Order: sequence, then C-alpha cells, then structure tokens
Amino acid sequence: MRITALTFALGVLLTCASSSALVANPPTVLITGASRGIGLEFARQYAERGWNVIATARTPADDNLLQDLISEHENVTVEELDVTNHAEIDALAKKLKDQPIDILISNAGISGGYENQIFGKLKYKSFDDVFAVNVKGPLKIAEAFINHVAASEQKKLVNISSTEGRFSQLRGGGGYFYRGSKSALNMAMRNVALAVKSKGVIVGILTPGFVDTDFTARFDSQLKITVEESVSKQIAVIDNMTPDMSGVYVSHEGIKMSW
Amino acid sequence: MYRLIPLLFLGLNIVVPAPAALATDPPTVLITGSSRGIGLEFTRQYAEKGWNVIATARSPKDDNLLQALAKVYNNISLETLDVTDHRDIDNLADKLHSQPIDVLINNAGISGGRNTQQFGSTDYSVFENVMNINVLGPLKITEAFIDHVAASDQKKIINISSTEGRLSMIRGSRMYFYRASKAALNMMMRNVALATKDKGVIIGIITPGLVDTDFLAGSRLPKQLMLAPQVSVERSISTIARLTPELSGKYVANTGEVMSW
Repeated sequence: MRITALTFALGVLLTCASSSALVANPPTVLITGASRGIGLEFARQYAERGWNVIATARTPADDNLLQDLISEHENVTVEELDVTNHAEIDALAKKLKDQPIDILISNAGISGGYENQIFGKLKYKSFDDVFAVNVKGPLKIAEAFINHVAASEQKKLVNISSTEGRFSQLRGGGGYFYRGSKSALNMAMRNVALAVKSKGVIVGILTPGFVDTDFTARFDSQLKITVEESVSKQIAVIDNMTPDMSGVYVSHEGIKMSW
Repeated sequence: MYRLIPLLFLGLNIVVPAPAALATDPPTVLITGSSRGIGLEFTRQYAEKGWNVIATARSPKDDNLLQALAKVYNNISLETLDVTDHRDIDNLADKLHSQPIDVLINNAGISGGRNTQQFGSTDYSVFENVMNINVLGPLKITEAFIDHVAASDQKKIINISSTEGRLSMIRGSRMYFYRASKAALNMMMRNVALATKDKGVIIGIITPGLVDTDFLAGSRLPKQLMLAPQVSVERSISTIARLTPELSGKYVANTGEVMSW
C-alpha cells in the first residue's frame, strides 16, 4: 500500500516537474517571428500546453526572451529564419522534412513605419520591405510547408492578418503599405485555401486585435488588449477551426468578418 | 421673307463642324498604358468627344495604333511614361505643371502571366513586376498629379481595377499575384480617397469587366463572355462622368454599380 502511494506520489512529482511530460505525442506548432510580441506569446502558451514548439526568428541567439523560454521549456526548439529569404525557407522545410506540423503560424510581420507612409511623401522602399515580409513571406512559407502540415493530424496553416486590411471598416488615412499588404495577404490566403482544400489543410486568416506590444508602441490607447489575452483567444479560435473556416477572415474573438 | 428665316436657321444647324472644334476649353484627360487594349480605347473615345487627351505609353513612337489615332485627332498628345519609373513620373508631372487634369486614368496594368502564379509553382520575380506596375505605379502617379487634378473642374482620378481583386467573390485558385495586386490597389485607393477628400478630388476604383483584348490572350474563357473594348470603355466613361464625391473610394463596376469588396 505504501509502495503504491510512494510510486503515485513520485509519479505526480515527476509529472509536475516537467510540463511537457503530460502530453504523449504532443502536436507540433511552428511559429515565425517568435522573438517578441504575439509570436513569443504563442510560443510560450503552446509550450505550456506541452506542445512541441518550433519557434523561428531572424537572430534567435540575440533574442533574450526567446532564449529564456527555451531554458524554461524543453519542448521548445528554435530555428533561425528570415521570412524574406526564400532559400532559407526552403532549407528549413528540407531540414524538417520528416516533421509533420499540426499548426503553422505565419506571424512575422512589420508595419513599415508610420513616417514612411504619409501621402505626398510616400517612401516606396518601405513598400518593398512590407510586402516581402507580410505577403511574400507567408505565401512562400505556405508553399514550402504545405506537405508538412498536410501530413499532420490537425492540418492548420494560420496567418496573422489585421483588421487594418479590412475594407469595410477603414478609419482615417495612413498606413498605405501596411494596409495594402494585409489586404493582399488576405487575398493570397483566400486563394491558398482553395488550392489546399483537397489536401485537407485549413487555412486560417486571423486578426489578433489591437495588442499592446512593440508593434503598437506609437499608439497611446486604453483600447489595447494584453498579448496574453489576444493569444489565448486566438489559440481558442485555432483549436476550434473547422474546414468551413478555411479562407475565412476571423477575429481573435472567433467572429467571422466581411472583407 | 420672314418664313425663310426658320428654314435658314435649320440649314445652319445641318452644317455642323467636326466634334473637336466645337468645345471651348475642353476638359483634359490623361491616360496611362494607352498603346493598346482598354487604354487605347479610352484615348479614342475621349478624343472623339473633343477632350484634350494626353495619352501615355512606354514607347509611343513604336505604337502604330496610337500613332494612327494621333494623326486622326489633333486633340491627342503623346507622352512617354513607364509607370515603374518614379523619376519619369515626377518629370512628366513637372512638364505638365500648369495643366489642370480633369480625369486621370491609371489604366496601365499587367496580369503577370498564367504559369507563374499558381500555388506550388510561383515565380516571385514576377511578383515584383506585378506590384510595381499595378500598385505602386497608380499610387505614385496619384501623388505626383494630385495638384493637377485638384486644379481642374472635374477632379477625378480613376483607377482601373478588376473583379479579380474582389475578395468576396473570387472563383478558383489562380493568378495569385495579380489578384493580390488588385486587392492591394483597391485598399490603397480606398485609403487615398480619405486623404484627398479635402482637396475635393474623387478617387474612382472601376472594374472594366471581362474585356476582349491582348490581356486575356491565351485564356480559356469563351469569347462570348467577353466584352468588346468599345462597350466596356463606353460604360466606364459614362460611369466616370456620373462619379460623385460619395462614390470616391468605392468599388464600382463599369456599369456604375457599387460592389462589395
């Protein structure tokens, strides 16, 4: 009786000590732009669920917060990836060729800088950067990793978009390149959803809400939500994503939106 | 004797000079990509209406159809313009600095081709070209010519978009870059409309329909579904003429119908 109790106690102790041990054969999630903000939070929350997390960033060795996360969770691995570098994307896809990816989150994104997007003084170089990261990156990643996702159980390819790409709800001018990039991303992913239907892959087009991270630092607003809240809600939406949600514009509250 | 006067008057009415000479101070229209297709047709129809037409193309001296048109109508002037060359655009804006432009038509556009934009076989070098011509061109031109248009009577900047940019209605999965470029163009121009409101400039986003030009060459679409350029442009011109400030930044079909995005 005592031996059973002891074994039981030991088992509980061991289970609590390592958060990833609870889940046998955990699903795998790959997240781009995981060095900070929403990407880092996705990595953290999925790690705490016990998932196998592949966090990517441009220079992970320099990302202290990401390094802290790795030291806290043995189920998080880090890969170097610049989403504007297509050779790197192909190389990573090849390196991970035997790794099914249940959820791929194309999160990496840039705003292009407010000061570069003033009508009358548009800095067109910024357009190239914004579209390279926000549109071509996710599209190339979708192409390169489609089979990894299709080989998994959950088969979800999620793109972090923005309500700034939403035609029916535009407020005020500005952010020309950024907004254009999110509309273009939405269109590209709507297309991808149709293309990958036969593989059973669900393509998510998710908006995170107005989140308090470096990305929105220039806006002083009471309306911002915490990154914890945004991501836990997005994860809930992703959990519940069914094939009929593929290619659909969805908010972090799970609300389907018009374009 | 007096009974003859009405007859004489009638007689005078019959002798009507060619359309171009009648209009005093005709409006001015500038059209990009005017060497063929929709652009060429816009040039022809506005010229016939007696407008002052500034037709631009990358190398007008090589464009036979455009040259022929310019010989028939003395109210057409030709300008060289590559919409991907921002210095070119600034230079032309400078050259025309004292010319108010009633209607500016951002028509130049490319499809990117059929085989380079399918999922799994995308050629990203094509992406750049499609974006530069279809999105950045119109945006830069709008910036460079905003004051020319604001100084005119009609104050209209028209962007030729496409229903291929219509997120709520796309069919099938193809032409990724082209569709993305039209969605981006739509969004940018919707935005620009907000910025140009105080200058009184109306930003049109018009879809020409499925038009039978070189643009659709090689397409498997049956010709019966396509519109003749003449019909498409007639409708567009009519819609442009009826564009009010409320329609600025809205997605409008060539028939004048406002569409969802």
